[in-house]
Amino acid sequence: MSPVTVVWSMIAAACLTLAAVHLPVWWRNREARATLAFSIAAICTAAIALCELMMLKAPTPAAYVTAQRWMNLPIALLLVALAAFAHHYLDARLRWLAVTAIVLRLVSLVINFSVGESANFVHATSLRAVPLMGEQVSMAIGERNPWRVIGQIAVFLLMLYFIAASVHAWRQGRRAVAVLVGGSLTFFMMASLGRAFLVSWQGGDAPSTVSLFALGVIGVMGYALSADLLRAKQLVVELSEREREAELVADAANLGTWTRDIVRDKVLASKKLRELFGFAPDERLDGERLAQRVHVDDRAAFRDRLSQAARRRGEYQGEFRLVLPDGRLRWIAALGRVDSDAKGNALRSRGACIDITAAKEAEQEMLRLRQDIAHVGRVSVMGQISSALAHEINQPLGAILRNAEAAALFMQDESPDLHEIRAILEDIRKDDQRASAVIDRIRALLRHEEVAMTRLNVRGLLGDVATLLRPDAAARHVALEFAVPADLPAVRGDQVQIQQVLLNLILNGMDALEGLKDRPRWVSVTARRDGPAGVEISVSDSGRGIGADHFARIFEPFFTTKTKGIGMGLSISRGLIEAHGGRLWAENTAIGATFRFTLPIAS
Amino acid sequence: MAEPTVHVVDDDESFLIAMARLLRASGFLARTYSSAREFLAERGADEPGCVLVDLRMPDLGGLELQAALAETSFPLPVLFLTGHADTASTVRAMRGGAEDFLEKTAAKEVLLDAVRRALERNEHEREERSYREELRARFAAISTREREVLEHVLRGRLNKQIAGDLGIHERTVKVHRKSIMTKLSVKSVAALAQLSQEAGLAVHS
Repeated sequence: MSPVTVVWSMIAAACLTLAAVHLPVWWRNREARATLAFSIAAICTAAIALCELMMLKAPTPAAYVTAQRWMNLPIALLLVALAAFAHHYLDARLRWLAVTAIVLRLVSLVINFSVGESANFVHATSLRAVPLMGEQVSMAIGERNPWRVIGQIAVFLLMLYFIAASVHAWRQGRRAVAVLVGGSLTFFMMASLGRAFLVSWQGGDAPSTVSLFALGVIGVMGYALSADLLRAKQLVVELSEREREAELVADAANLGTWTRDIVRDKVLASKKLRELFGFAPDERLDGERLAQRVHVDDRAAFRDRLSQAARRRGEYQGEFRLVLPDGRLRWIAALGRVDSDAKGNALRSRGACIDITAAKEAEQEMLRLRQDIAHVGRVSVMGQISSALAHEINQPLGAILRNAEAAALFMQDESPDLHEIRAILEDIRKDDQRASAVIDRIRALLRHEEVAMTRLNVRGLLGDVATLLRPDAAARHVALEFAVPADLPAVRGDQVQIQQVLLNLILNGMDALEGLKDRPRWVSVTARRDGPAGVEISVSDSGRGIGADHFARIFEPFFTTKTKGIGMGLSISRGLIEAHGGRLWAENTAIGATFRFTLPIAS
Repeated sequence: MAEPTVHVVDDDESFLIAMARLLRASGFLARTYSSAREFLAERGADEPGCVLVDLRMPDLGGLELQAALAETSFPLPVLFLTGHADTASTVRAMRGGAEDFLEKTAAKEVLLDAVRRALERNEHEREERSYREELRARFAAISTREREVLEHVLRGRLNKQIAGDLGIHERTVKVHRKSIMTKLSVKSVAALAQLSQEAGLAVHS
């Protein structure tokens, strides 16, 4: 067999093989348009090689131009495929250049089949034998087709397009690709133009060798694509490494991770997540199944998050209680992120969960302790003082009593021992003094520090009180509201004492809400100007108000309606406010009770 | 027998004196101590009486005194006094074993009644104690062999069986039985059984 036949057949075979390798790649990933363009280019090159072989081996001018005429069809398609490859692979700009070139080439294809014997010849008159690879091959001579210039302009425009594409790729930093792929495409066009100039315009002797050049381009393109495949493989390996790392990190941090396909509502969960939610390793999961594990009180919020995630993009987070199959309660914190497609439709959400039961329990324990401390602090200071007082004072009182009783008994004697009775009376006097010393000591203990009258900013004062009471209020499910006008003037008073009064009134308000479930539970504190020289602060609650039979007595010392109260709060508060030159009084309002007090404006 | 004494223990000297005065005026014999240690060191052995002690004292308090007293061979009933019986200290004292718990300002009648009851209790306990002492002395006179025979008798076994069990002659058993009855000064087996029970003699079955 002649070398030309062997080489040209091998070109066709090689190109078809490359196409057979790359077409399935495109089939599996339709996004890989460059692969499709490459496959088409390879098939076209195979067709070109076969047509060209027929030309080179043509026995008559007619056979030659027929083969040439049919070869122009795969050539046109090849140019379209190359333009598409440059567009997708090199991300080429100046699309109009490519479109114009293709349109011109198609026009040339129409001419190829309508005017003359082919796009190249109006009429081929004879064949000339020229040497190629050591043998003689055919080359036609005759009247050239003047319209062939259209096809050559198309090739020229494509060459410009490829040059532009190479420059663009170079600027984008893909230099190897720009030089290799862009360069070979451009070179192919230049070679094609060069041969056309030589042969069809200068009448030079050169057999048709389009296939050889086309093969070169296909080779370079194939190499570039394979390099991409190899890189993708490498990325897959790296990705699975990352995945394993991420898994390790998640395990170490006790993180359960999941991915939820929002469209099909399918949940893929990590082993840890299944452990957290108490699911078996092979159980099928969806949003609803997850929701079923969530505590009834939190379920609505959980579903909200899920549907919100489907509607919105971005991140979301929350804390939920889970009820495990064995009845245990578990707190989890969840963080999720929604992925959307290009149109902004939510596709899937991913996220991580962590067990925060221990932290939650500690937090609630803290809250409970704080509540206890607040309560104990309030009721037991007075309790302690009164207990200590009783103990101290009962010592001398007991002694006085026993002495008096003994004296009374001695007096019943016929001849009472007056000496003894005198001693008893002396002891009684001493114990009486001892008792009043105890009282003095307790009073000194209870006496307030030096009263410091200063300018007080009401807003700041209420802010401090709010900080002190917020945890207590939250734990008792009471909404605590404060309203202070910005232009309220400063008042004059002792900060600690006024805060004590406020604490007392607000805590009373919260006590009034104890056990009430049929109404909104709030305590509201407002301040306003009261005449030219005063400010009025009121504390209102949404409780049941003050009973008519209690109303007259609430400011009396030791009057209380509470089981644990000692009935001193309002009495002391009123004393403190009056010492400041203000007034403290109570009103029943349409909703609950309101306590109001006034303070003088600081001069 | 010696007159029962009311021992008053309190670190508050004034109350101590007043209390002793009232007790004496009410016809009791009273002794005063300013600390629990002083009382424990000075009290005579086996004297009738009771103790009135302040619950809260520095060093040894009332409950500690009660515990120390319970370990002696002649414990006395203890009455606790406190300045102010708040819930916490009452609960603590009750848990610690206090039975009578009075405020220092309690009514005289309540206080004196409690003292009287305590003395009665002490007298009763002392009688029981001396009866048991006497029993113990009587049982102590019984020889080891006699004790073995006694145990068998208490189990209701016949002389012949006892003789077989102990490997002695039936007549010897009869001699032992008679000796036992004489030493314990009882006349019937029923009385013997009751006495043995009162003496806390265990019957192994």
